[in-house]
Amino acid sequence: MSLAKRLSYNFMKDLGAPVVMGLAAKGKKKRPAPASTPFGPRLKCATRLKEIMTRHYFLARYAEGAKPVAWVTSGAPVELLRAFDFYTIYPENHGALCGAQRLGPEYCGIAEDHGYHQDLCSYARIDLGHMLSGKTPVGKLPRPDLLFASNNICQTVLYWYRILAHHLKVPLLLFDTPYNFKDIQAEDIRYMVDQLKGMIPVLEKVSGNKFKEETFMEVIHSAKDASLCWGQVLKAMRHRPAPMTIFDAFVHLAPIVSLRGLPVAHQYYQILLAELEERIDQGIGAIRDEQKRLMWDNIAIWYKVRDFSNLFAERGMNFVTATYTNAWAETSAHMDVEKPFESMARTYAQVILNNSLNHRLELMARLIKDYHVDGLVIHSAKSCKPYSVGQYDLKRILMDRLEIPSVVIEADITDFRVFSEEQTRTRLEAFFETLEAS
Amino acid sequence: MGRHLFGVFPAQYPREIFWAMNTVPVEIWDPPLSTVNANAHLQPYICSVVRSGLELILQDKTRLLDGFLFPHTCDSIQNLASIVNDYLGLEIPCCFFYHPKAPFDKASRDYYLSQLKSLIAELENQFGPMDPHAFKQRVDQGLDVQERLANAYEMRRQGELAVSNTSFYRNIRLTEYLHPDDFISGFETFLAVSKNENLKGPAIILSGILPHPEILRLLDQQGVRVVDDDLLSCNRRMPLRLIKDQDPYEMLVENYFAMPPCPTRGSPIQERLDFMMDKVRKTDAQGVIFCGIKFCEPEWFDVPQMVAALKDAGLKTLLLDLEVNQPLSGQLSTRVEAFVEMIS
Repeated sequence: MSLAKRLSYNFMKDLGAPVVMGLAAKGKKKRPAPASTPFGPRLKCATRLKEIMTRHYFLARYAEGAKPVAWVTSGAPVELLRAFDFYTIYPENHGALCGAQRLGPEYCGIAEDHGYHQDLCSYARIDLGHMLSGKTPVGKLPRPDLLFASNNICQTVLYWYRILAHHLKVPLLLFDTPYNFKDIQAEDIRYMVDQLKGMIPVLEKVSGNKFKEETFMEVIHSAKDASLCWGQVLKAMRHRPAPMTIFDAFVHLAPIVSLRGLPVAHQYYQILLAELEERIDQGIGAIRDEQKRLMWDNIAIWYKVRDFSNLFAERGMNFVTATYTNAWAETSAHMDVEKPFESMARTYAQVILNNSLNHRLELMARLIKDYHVDGLVIHSAKSCKPYSVGQYDLKRILMDRLEIPSVVIEADITDFRVFSEEQTRTRLEAFFETLEAS
Repeated sequence: MGRHLFGVFPAQYPREIFWAMNTVPVEIWDPPLSTVNANAHLQPYICSVVRSGLELILQDKTRLLDGFLFPHTCDSIQNLASIVNDYLGLEIPCCFFYHPKAPFDKASRDYYLSQLKSLIAELENQFGPMDPHAFKQRVDQGLDVQERLANAYEMRRQGELAVSNTSFYRNIRLTEYLHPDDFISGFETFLAVSKNENLKGPAIILSGILPHPEILRLLDQQGVRVVDDDLLSCNRRMPLRLIKDQDPYEMLVENYFAMPPCPTRGSPIQERLDFMMDKVRKTDAQGVIFCGIKFCEPEWFDVPQMVAALKDAGLKTLLLDLEVNQPLSGQLSTRVEAFVEMIS
């Protein structure tokens, strides 16, 4: 790492970033609140969230050469990298950001022009489009010194990160998590622990920092606190009216995905939780007239978050839970500072997408009961096969078992070229009729 | 006593273990069916290999089977395993086989060994204890099969097999469902009667998932020789080196880690390129046809890198987006014909 770049990074971190961001915030015009809205007051801490994430991406511009940089998949045990002081970038989070800004087709198109098939995951195509062109709405992403992937969320990340490693000529560490077709086995844990321990020499070499188990344990402690707190945030939506919508949660999950293991993530969720508790005490709901409570399955349709938020809220329908947002809270109980490697293996190998469909079915049934859900919206995401294959069966079984109305929306996470406005509207109208009659 | 039958989804698994349990693994790649019922379970963007495999089960054409095996090949097969096991109400067992992904080290080898033993334990629950002598014999026989296949590929590369592409792959693909006792004798005859010079016509290499019969027929009509392949169902499951050992477990472990580079096992791209370029060097191929299956992520991620490397080496490439059991459209046929003209 270069001393000059480190000084520049530290200067921007301590002085430059607050000044630049303060000026940028002052220059921005506030959007006036609409005269008539189905929503309750906006979350105050949304401003703080924006500051945190803007700062993260702003400082990323100065991280290259100042700190070891890793590009990481959302389900990888980043706690190990934090122990070596890596600056982490999450291409999936970046993809979601591009998707929300409706940049998906443009960046995917760059990858397609280089031969990548339009049927491939659009997060991957956005990332490859960025790698091939340098285009990003966040200014600049630092070039990685290391790639860190785990196939606990999909095999796609493995195919995708192999391409990155090939083009960027940097090492790829894979945390291979055997799929739990049945229960997790002792040999699975042993295999994963051996892999994590085997990564240490590579991480030491790339980062130039020695591994310290105490640091690793501190990071796990911090990650567990943040994850548990995120779980509390989600649980707050059990209250009627729910103080937040799942569309808010899609945005507020950014720190638990991208900054997990750093103190700022836990600090932020404490602020958010306090605000939600205050709303509950005051009877403030995320939407003014909560009539029906819904559950969302799968990743968000990023380019439709605002439209859907309005569409459902206008009908008094609030999304109060999602299998997706729950994923970063579900397994945190396994984190154990006394058994750092084993607990990382247990935590990350048992996330929703690394388990059989029956596991998801039971989770959904539990969430429906705990959150008093009246209806289910299933996003069948072309990009995400592990999340989507089996959804038709889950829908049928939940209907049979719990008589819960549901609808499947065929779409994609970021590539709106495969989204049919008309088909979706027709399906949703039929769903609204069923739900309103129930 | 008759043999048991197990339906096996793609791609890598230790078939010798099944043989040792007096069981024939019948691989399910492209059963010839029209898809009707599977659409109620699978979205339109799921590949036709998974779709037709599920259709086979839903049309009740797997009644003769004693069980299913789902190797961990891709996300779609992974979730299909769960659909079949959890939601179809079948009365036969479904086994799952997880093979470690690259980079490979000692932990991967230990884990693969543990998975072999778990599979044996599952099959023993169903069929009774495995005879260790039968196990050793079948593992040795597996090596014999691999040697014969490797020999056939070498003869083809050298232009010493006067057979059509259709006939070659029909015989190679017998390994997908024949017991080795039956396969070996038939394959020996096939090689003996086919041994003759064959150096006419432009030469190509096939890449992708599996050979599409209509592509092979079209290539035969055009007088094109397929001189090698990197197809997942064929050469990508043939170990690069054959290792003999007294310990059958050790041999199976060695065989897995000696398989050619493949995205379904997480192999680095460079290894895949080297494997392909080695084929180019060893043959007189002028072009490569990628027989991709629509929506197959593992395969399509690698294609741009492979195309670039082949173009750099002066080879022509053709990308085909195919569905199993779908006839070739006129447009696809024309593209193949144009490609052949270009390399002739």
